[in-house]
Amino acid sequence: MATTVNWRSLAPVFVFALLCVVIALFNPNFLSPSNAVRILAAAAIPLVLVMGATFVILMGSIDLSIEGVVALTAVVTAALVLNDHTSANLGLFAIAFALVAGAAIGFVSGAIHVWLKVPSFMATLGIGFACLGIATAALGGFPVRISDSGFRALTLGRTFGIPHGVWVAFAAVIVAYVIQQRTRLGRWIYAIGTDEVTARQSGVPVERTRILVFTLAGLFCGLAGAMSAAQLGQGHALIASGRLFTTITAVVVGGTALSGGVGSVLNSVIGVLIVIVLTNGMVLMGVPPFVQQGVQGVLIIIAVALALDRRHLDVVK
Amino acid sequence: MDFRTCTRRTVAAVAALSAVTVGAAATGAFAADDGITLAISMRSLSNPYHATFAKGGEDFANSIGAPFEVLVTEGNSEKGLADIRALIARTEGNVCINVDPNDSPDAKTIVEEAKAAGAYVVTQWNKPDDLHPWDHNPNYVAHMSFSGVGTSEEITGALIGAMGGEGGIVALGGILSNVPAIERKLGMEQAVEATGGKVTVLDFQPADWNETKAFEIMQAWLTRYGDEIKGVWAANDSMAIGALEALRQEGKAGSVPVTGIDGTDAALSAIEAGEMAGTVAWDPNWTGGMGLSLCHAAATGKIDIAAEPPEHREFYGTGIVVTPENIAEYRNRDASFDYDDYWAKSTGQIQYQ
Repeated sequence: MATTVNWRSLAPVFVFALLCVVIALFNPNFLSPSNAVRILAAAAIPLVLVMGATFVILMGSIDLSIEGVVALTAVVTAALVLNDHTSANLGLFAIAFALVAGAAIGFVSGAIHVWLKVPSFMATLGIGFACLGIATAALGGFPVRISDSGFRALTLGRTFGIPHGVWVAFAAVIVAYVIQQRTRLGRWIYAIGTDEVTARQSGVPVERTRILVFTLAGLFCGLAGAMSAAQLGQGHALIASGRLFTTITAVVVGGTALSGGVGSVLNSVIGVLIVIVLTNGMVLMGVPPFVQQGVQGVLIIIAVALALDRRHLDVVK
Repeated sequence: MDFRTCTRRTVAAVAALSAVTVGAAATGAFAADDGITLAISMRSLSNPYHATFAKGGEDFANSIGAPFEVLVTEGNSEKGLADIRALIARTEGNVCINVDPNDSPDAKTIVEEAKAAGAYVVTQWNKPDDLHPWDHNPNYVAHMSFSGVGTSEEITGALIGAMGGEGGIVALGGILSNVPAIERKLGMEQAVEATGGKVTVLDFQPADWNETKAFEIMQAWLTRYGDEIKGVWAANDSMAIGALEALRQEGKAGSVPVTGIDGTDAALSAIEAGEMAGTVAWDPNWTGGMGLSLCHAAATGKIDIAAEPPEHREFYGTGIVVTPENIAEYRNRDASFDYDDYWAKSTGQIQYQ
């Protein structure tokens, strides 16, 4: 094991810092405390999502069901708090149902992937579409609107000036970090992602780990679903559109390799911040809309190119 | 092309769809005497606009006891065309289709295939400017749309009024290449220009019709412009709600007027709560029902559609500007309409820019 710090693992941090400096030069307001809070508030849901996605990607798999699971659990949550569709009024307990529903869907994805040997790409894509279909069918295309202000405090309320959603995301990051660093599950994930055959021969319960990781990813999606419902005050089938792209981009920009085995949940935290700060910075710098996507694409490639540790990548697919 | 496989797939898709869309498309058992099938084709059932559009069509089909089907393109032109082809083949052209084409060029293909098979078509929103119903008599019955520029100008006027007639606004646009996005932006710009500089557009950003994107852009605007923002204009209600929630996070919901377009329930409630200054309510229930009614009348010979003037073949529906002043009136309006009074809600012949 190398004793010196591998500078590449810090590359995403440098990219992030550089980005902040450049944006601040254009518009000093970027550094204001209120903008920092805004960026954190926008980052809260993506942060929760990348925690699960990072584990899945560390195993060398992919989870494309994110938008579907978030939408369905957001609908479940919205339908269980005080709302205009049902007579339920569970308040914050609805979050527990969202978590269970998310975990259950994640378990199904994992089970299909492992037991039926369907590639995770297809298994999760199918499950994602199924979830969107259920959310659409259940509501006939209409949103469920939340009228429970106590529940909405989950993202709108503040403690020490920071929105509660950010605290929730912070807690999710700590949980994920502990799983990664301090549990057997964390070590198994790296082992599978690095070399599944060796891992299996060393006694790692590969199937069980895979299902568990997809279940965990579903759980995080469920939490993100409840947070989305609280943030927008409603639940509907399209509530998560665009989240999948942000999540996968953030994980990769953070330096976690899609081939598995390399990366960390902390890398993904930086990845999310880069993606969110980019969106925020484009508007602050006044970059013309039709140039924005191009600039974003180029910056993402630069970030990934800097962050990749090529010594560990024998094969690039 | 093997129509049997194609049809089977479509039958399966339609069956699955009708099984999930509670109650929709369950009227096939009681066919009317003429045996004409009625169908609606649109992007998806996941958004309120199209769900209501389909419901409008279903209500008309029920009123005459005709078999009814919903076709969904899922944003895929190929799928949309394949499904329509299969439907025409299966019904041997004995079908009336009210279609919101996924993309403008699709309308041409749909009309040509329908004409070849003797089916009847009404299109909504999207068609090439040089494709006209009167060039494809009698099968291309009509094209219905809403005036994007005019209504956008009106709602922008309402926003400017709520701002007290002056100050800076920030504007959220739809996907840059979409026709409604272009028209709505143009209408907004014309209304702003008409103030003679009293109102300025601080910034325009496309948020791709998306709530979350609008939320993040609104946050950045709050940093960049802060209290300079006196009003928020959005090209649809989803983005208006996204911006409103970003304002709410800062405790500013209700203090900065926000307007949207589409008349979704969320926007109407926000207007009632004093958090939004207005929206434009389309009438998808009417376009869904009346589109099929007109199509059915042409197909059965109840009216001689080829003899109707251009303003009865390409026409705008009524977009209602809903503001805090008239929201109660709008909520209590009589939304029912007479299926035989085809052009009662038309607001004139479609104009091309």
